Amino acid sequence: MKEGKKKKKTETSIGESISALGAFFVYLITGLFLAVGFWVVGEKYSVDLISDPSLTLRLLWIIEFPIVVIIYSLFRRNPEKCSYFRAVGRSILGLISGAIINALGAVSLGAPIGLQSLPKTIHWSFLMSVFTVVPATAVFGASWTNWHRVFASLKPTGNIEYMILIPAYGAIIGGWFGAWPMPLDWERPWQEWPICVCYGAIGGYIVGQIVSLSLMIFLRKHKNLKLA
Amino acid sequence: METYLKNKKLIAIGFLLIHSIAILIFTRGFLLTRTELPFHSTCSDVSLSPCLTSPPPSNHDSNPDSISSHSNHTCWTKPVVDRVIIIVLDALRIDFVAPSAFFPEPKPWMDKLTILQKLAFANESSAKIFKAFADPPTTSLQRLKGLTTGGLPTFIDVGNSFGAPAIVEDNFINQLVQNGKRLVMMGDDTWTQLFPNQFQKSYPFPSFNVKDLDTVDNGCTEHLFPTLYEDDWDVLIAHFLGVDHAGHIFGVDSSPMINKLEQYNSVLEKVISILESHAGPGGLHENTMLIVMGDHGQTLNGDHGGGTAEEVETSMFAMSTKKHTTSVPPEFDTSSCKQNSDGKQICISSIEQLDFAATLSALLGISSPFGSIGHVNPELYALGSSNWDLEKSESGNFGTQSAVKEWMKNYVNVLCVNAWQVKRYIDVYSNSSVVGFSSDDMARISDLYAAAEQNWTNSVKHLLMDRNGDENNTNRSAFKEQIAAYLNFFSSVVELARSKWTEFNLNLMITGFGILVISLIIQFLVVFHGDKSYAVGFWLSTGAAFTLFLVTIRACSFLSNSYILEEGKVANFLLATTGLIKLRYSVMKKTMRKEAVIFLAIASVLRVSIDIGLTKQAATSQFMSSSPSWILGIALDLPALTYAIEIAPIVSVVILICVLYIAIAKTPSEGMWNEGMWKYVTVGSMISYFLIALLWASESKIFGLDGLLQVIGGRNRIPQTVYAIGLVQLFLLASARMFCAGEKKYWATRTVALVSACSSPVILLSGKQGSLLALAYLLAGYCIMRLEGVERITKLDRQNKLSKLNPLCVMQWSLLSICMFFASGHWCAFDGLRYGAAFVGFDEFVLIRQAILLTIETFGFSIILSVFGLPILLPIHSQTPQAHSQKRHQLFQMYMLFGVISATTVTATILCVTIQRRHLMVWGLFAPKFVFDVVGLILTDLLICLASAYYF
Repeated sequence: MKEGKKKKKTETSIGESISALGAFFVYLITGLFLAVGFWVVGEKYSVDLISDPSLTLRLLWIIEFPIVVIIYSLFRRNPEKCSYFRAVGRSILGLISGAIINALGAVSLGAPIGLQSLPKTIHWSFLMSVFTVVPATAVFGASWTNWHRVFASLKPTGNIEYMILIPAYGAIIGGWFGAWPMPLDWERPWQEWPICVCYGAIGGYIVGQIVSLSLMIFLRKHKNLKLA
Repeated sequence: METYLKNKKLIAIGFLLIHSIAILIFTRGFLLTRTELPFHSTCSDVSLSPCLTSPPPSNHDSNPDSISSHSNHTCWTKPVVDRVIIIVLDALRIDFVAPSAFFPEPKPWMDKLTILQKLAFANESSAKIFKAFADPPTTSLQRLKGLTTGGLPTFIDVGNSFGAPAIVEDNFINQLVQNGKRLVMMGDDTWTQLFPNQFQKSYPFPSFNVKDLDTVDNGCTEHLFPTLYEDDWDVLIAHFLGVDHAGHIFGVDSSPMINKLEQYNSVLEKVISILESHAGPGGLHENTMLIVMGDHGQTLNGDHGGGTAEEVETSMFAMSTKKHTTSVPPEFDTSSCKQNSDGKQICISSIEQLDFAATLSALLGISSPFGSIGHVNPELYALGSSNWDLEKSESGNFGTQSAVKEWMKNYVNVLCVNAWQVKRYIDVYSNSSVVGFSSDDMARISDLYAAAEQNWTNSVKHLLMDRNGDENNTNRSAFKEQIAAYLNFFSSVVELARSKWTEFNLNLMITGFGILVISLIIQFLVVFHGDKSYAVGFWLSTGAAFTLFLVTIRACSFLSNSYILEEGKVANFLLATTGLIKLRYSVMKKTMRKEAVIFLAIASVLRVSIDIGLTKQAATSQFMSSSPSWILGIALDLPALTYAIEIAPIVSVVILICVLYIAIAKTPSEGMWNEGMWKYVTVGSMISYFLIALLWASESKIFGLDGLLQVIGGRNRIPQTVYAIGLVQLFLLASARMFCAGEKKYWATRTVALVSACSSPVILLSGKQGSLLALAYLLAGYCIMRLEGVERITKLDRQNKLSKLNPLCVMQWSLLSICMFFASGHWCAFDGLRYGAAFVGFDEFVLIRQAILLTIETFGFSIILSVFGLPILLPIHSQTPQAHSQKRHQLFQMYMLFGVISATTVTATILCVTIQRRHLMVWGLFAPKFVFDVVGLILTDLLICLASAYYF
């Protein structure tokens, strides 16, 4: 069993690789577009997450999604077998299925299920999908073994897998913690679903990016030390 | 091994005892109780007092007819006013009424009720502004109770008033009715809830909608002015809610608040002008007293309920339509004075709300409520006492002097009656109540009273009786001395009552909490002690760390009232989180993904059920806003849906019967006699289930089984049969356990027998949701069992059955049981009890029987089934005797762990109520939560004892 896994690892680790600096730029661009998203929402539509969460979330994921797809599709597995546009196409599918999974998870954890909050839940889950599932679909496609190894067994290899795994878990854990203030009776508008969960997810995503960057740097140094 | 197991039973009993003691001590310190006495004061009582039963003769009383014209008969004291108008402005802060000169800096909301200030500070005024002190809890309902009974409402009082039932204790309103006074009420409908039959006319308006600032007030004013012109009432109560609501929604410093105050000012101006226009001799309001008061204050955010100065300080304005007022001797004057901007001396007095009932009773000349511990306030009494100097209109110094003396004569007699009544109440209370006053306190109070009474009978009484008493100063000083003696008595009574009824005993609370913490530590040690290779794995495992994390989160969540309100949702959130983590492991190990998904699905179903429960709670809770937004727009009268709702419970009962059948069919039947008996017991449950299904089918219309109930003789027959079967089953199980102790192999059969025996009454009492919930519970328990240790399952481990148990599964079971409590439509408040369940199968009320049924219904799923069903979590394959004994050890540890988890949350609740004992919601939220948790813990401990007796 273990041997089999090892074999798979060596097979799948072939693909585009990325340096820590590259990862930093990727993060910078995705972060920038997140900021652009907020700016567009604030300047063009003059709303924010609190006053109109569903519009804001929609714009955020619509702005963030293309850039994530464009960047991560560059690092797809088996580039010779799988064209760039195929990677883009499958990540659209990934976006939708990821949104469904996220929505179901949120509902089982207690997200409101009324018709009023339906658009909010949908757009929130699309944003979560962009953070969690879309990069992985762009890179892995439907390769279950890769998914399983990275997300379930938590055994990423190579920088790109760190870039997929850690921010995704960061967003989920951040969102989980973000739900904590919701029941409090402070009567602040941001306590509504899904505003604080969103803040939590974005915060967790950014923390995940920082952690993955530092891990990459740390591991490279470690490797260098080993080599030396 | 056997002795060790016996020790285990002792351990379980030991924890039950420790917890009981700790909780008992804590409760003594925390739950202040006051017994409501059923006695009522009557007019004739006064003959028992040492006081003068007839009004004291007046020096100037040359015209006896003038008294009899005011009232036909006197009750306890001579009435001094004929009619009273009480206008209650809810949440009236003291700075709404008192001039801004009394406060450090003027604020926008001050000086808005200008008419009251104008009247109070006019020369020759017969009006006064009081600073009134309320006692916590400062919520309208409790304050109205305190005002009318003249007592100090405590937890038990508050506990009784969750559904706002009528006040049964003797009260001011009751006394008015008893003395033939006619009452009119308008405004807040809390009054009609408290006094359903007492008002001759009432115009109640719903107080529920806080966002509505005007309905109650407009309704009030609409009826107030016409009523003022009528003569068919003696006491008028108008309760305005606008200021309270404006405070809750907008806060004090807001324009709606100022608009409201200005509106009140114009209303009051109009009321006073009507009164003054009829105040002439022979007029409708010749001798009327107007009282404008708040029931409590509010903070700047509009909150109230607690005991802070802002909430406790409210105001009272009193005015008599008779112009001339006696001035109170400076010894009894509580007023504080300031210079206003014009350099004029302005004064406001102070009064305790506690004294309101006694003072108004004295003013109207009726008997004061039996349980009143207030005294007649001298200044308020003086406002009405313009009556005595009559129309003599003596001018000059002599007139004022004699008026003061006259007032003192009356006041001292009123106080005498008053003191006698308070003493009688204190005596009766301490004799009849379970937890009376300490003998030291009683002796001190009795001494004070005896001294005052001695003085009374020896000297003052004669002075009063003496018609031709000489007008010298010794008389006056004797009266003053007497009044001072009485006031001294009153203040020590009130001090004692406050310490008894409003102050927590922190020492007892901390002792109880300390014992509980120590027991927790011991319990942890017991769990760790048995940590052998095959036991529950604790050290260095992610499961243990995560369990600890979840327990800590849950415990900490009780520190906030919001998390207590949403406890069900929080538990479900944590349950679903554990489900997600298990799902991740099962995906990782590529096994049992189905179980993980089913578990998550059940968690989702439970959350919907919890949401439904929460909306029910929000409908009655004063703390939650009802938000039915989640409800999908399903038309509930859809025929298909009605069928589904009718059929689903019956189908699930049938499924349960099938599950039971499979469970007993699986076990080997070639065993000894007693093995067979476990089976027969289970067959009994199947019969019970069948009867339940039959009952529900006959209750619903779609099966056409309406005639069935007549055939079997009434709808109570089936439930009673089910209870009987359950009792017989439990008896059989107990005797089988006692007499056939040899065979201990078949866990599964025994667990199934016990759980099924308990489950049938629980399902029956829970109503139609019961079977669905039981099914969900069973399925979730199965999933937890299967998922237990999924993260370490490899081929190797599977062969070794006795791997360490993952503590997370016990945590999941515990969370599941909490979710079940909320999903079955309960919440931690007394209106969350489903009283209807107590009458399933019985029509007449027998306290103990009905209480048992209610307890079974309330804690059936969350405690009874979860404690007895805990062995379900053990994987059942254990064949060798050695494996069996190790399993038993594991099971014991699971029970201990379950006990620790329950005890930890209860300890957190106790810590929380200790910290929050002065919180706004302590009586509405924390105390009921405390009671539920404590009862739950004791029940859990007790059942763990029984379960360990049964299983080991």
